[in-house]
Amino acid sequence: MRDIFFFDADCQIGSGPAIGIRPGAAELLADMDRFGIDRALVRHGNCGLLGAEAANRELAEMLETAATDRLRGVWAILPDQCPELPQGDAFFAAMKRYNIRALTLLPNDHLFVPCRLSLGRIMDAARERKIPVLFRADGNDWRPVYDFVREFPRNLIVIHERWGKWGHDRQLRPLLENFENVRFSIGGYMVPEGLRDLAALYGAERLLYGSGYPLYDQGSGMLQLKQSGLDAAEIALVAGKNLTKMLDEVQL
Amino acid sequence: MTTSIWEVPGSPAARFWNDGHADFPVYDMHGHMGSHNGIFMARREPESMAAHLRRAGVRHLVFSHHHVLFGAMRNAEVVEICRRYPDLYRMYVGIVPAFPDNIREDLAQFDRWAPYAVGLKCLADYYKLPLTDPAWEYALKFADERALPVLFHTWGNSKCNGGEVMMQLVRKYRRLKFFIGHSLYGEWEMAERIVKESDGNVWLELTAIPGEYRRIEKLVAAVGSDRLLYGTDLPWFDEYQAIGGVLSAEISADDMLNILYRNAESILGKEW
Repeated sequence: MRDIFFFDADCQIGSGPAIGIRPGAAELLADMDRFGIDRALVRHGNCGLLGAEAANRELAEMLETAATDRLRGVWAILPDQCPELPQGDAFFAAMKRYNIRALTLLPNDHLFVPCRLSLGRIMDAARERKIPVLFRADGNDWRPVYDFVREFPRNLIVIHERWGKWGHDRQLRPLLENFENVRFSIGGYMVPEGLRDLAALYGAERLLYGSGYPLYDQGSGMLQLKQSGLDAAEIALVAGKNLTKMLDEVQL
Repeated sequence: MTTSIWEVPGSPAARFWNDGHADFPVYDMHGHMGSHNGIFMARREPESMAAHLRRAGVRHLVFSHHHVLFGAMRNAEVVEICRRYPDLYRMYVGIVPAFPDNIREDLAQFDRWAPYAVGLKCLADYYKLPLTDPAWEYALKFADERALPVLFHTWGNSKCNGGEVMMQLVRKYRRLKFFIGHSLYGEWEMAERIVKESDGNVWLELTAIPGEYRRIEKLVAAVGSDRLLYGTDLPWFDEYQAIGGVLSAEISADDMLNILYRNAESILGKEW
């Protein structure tokens, strides 16, 4: 967009047996052009089934092939005790090399308990390096999200919704109120003018525009944000400035 | 970067992006009101909903009150809400089979509730009572005799209001105007069949669909945009999110206008 810089915090690329043929980087970039989105943070759409090791590698290849500075990647993490991914500094060096700027975890698919015992070392390193960690309430089970945020209160944790379409304020607001390092990516949050309420309660700097692509298109959330009732400066924060700042501070 | 859909001069998308509304009305054909057991809804009362609707240029919201559907309110009370907002609110008379006397009493007053009451609403899934159960029959016959709209909550593969049940009803009631709420979500091929096998008295209603990647494009291709109705479940879903979903679809401007207002006007007229 010429008037607002958009950085989509919640995109996936890549196909898989369970999800079928999904958009790749080229299709995502075409959609971004259609809606006027400048940049996107992308995960591998098949990471759940494929596993962290292979999905991280494949995502890196997709980003390398796309050869664009408009996409930033997200890698999945696994328990410290199982050396399936590069360890220590080598992991972060690889992140830098492949333009990966955030982490995520899929404990239900990858079968581990997301807590300090299992992820303490990688989460502490992520905190020191100011790397955001994306997490969601899988299957609308918010207990693991609460536990995880309580376990790692000093990490920058981005909750992205996208389970069903019912409003989740009863689950979400306690996290935003009690944990200052929690951010919320708004994809799938369709509560009427709810963005304005969240910004008034917790600050627009806590919210990130995210589409949920390719389950959702990128445009519906853009119009929802543009006409949310937030002022222009707040809209600009949510649309892209917050995520830009967050990723600019990442130290790899 | 190329020109985005929001920047095409004169387009519906540009109008909503720049002004928050367009120079045509929007009819939201699927709404509710009042508190809900499982969701916090900040804008659930008539005034706060009205402010949201008016910002988005919605001329009428047709709604069924949660508290009627969930057993704590009578339809006559909803008429009084509509009377306070005569330019904005229209209602579906909520049909609750657990209270058959209420159904007869309410439908006996239906004509006196004009212009506010425009049809009926059936929420079979929530009562675990298939629409083919005789408990619904009195209301459905009433609607069929008068060719009234009935908004059915539907969902793919539901035993109460899924594809097989809706097909049976469409074959039985030939005059009733079927508004297939949520377009039989997930049972897309059956939704298409139902429209095509009907006598032109079936429309797919879009609540919960706008914003889903490429879904509206597929529905337009399957049944035509003249068979789709716009809806949001307000106060569940934001008008701009849903309008944005329609505007984001790769369909023609004519298709968008059909969905957002022309089809409702073809069913209910320009002044209703």
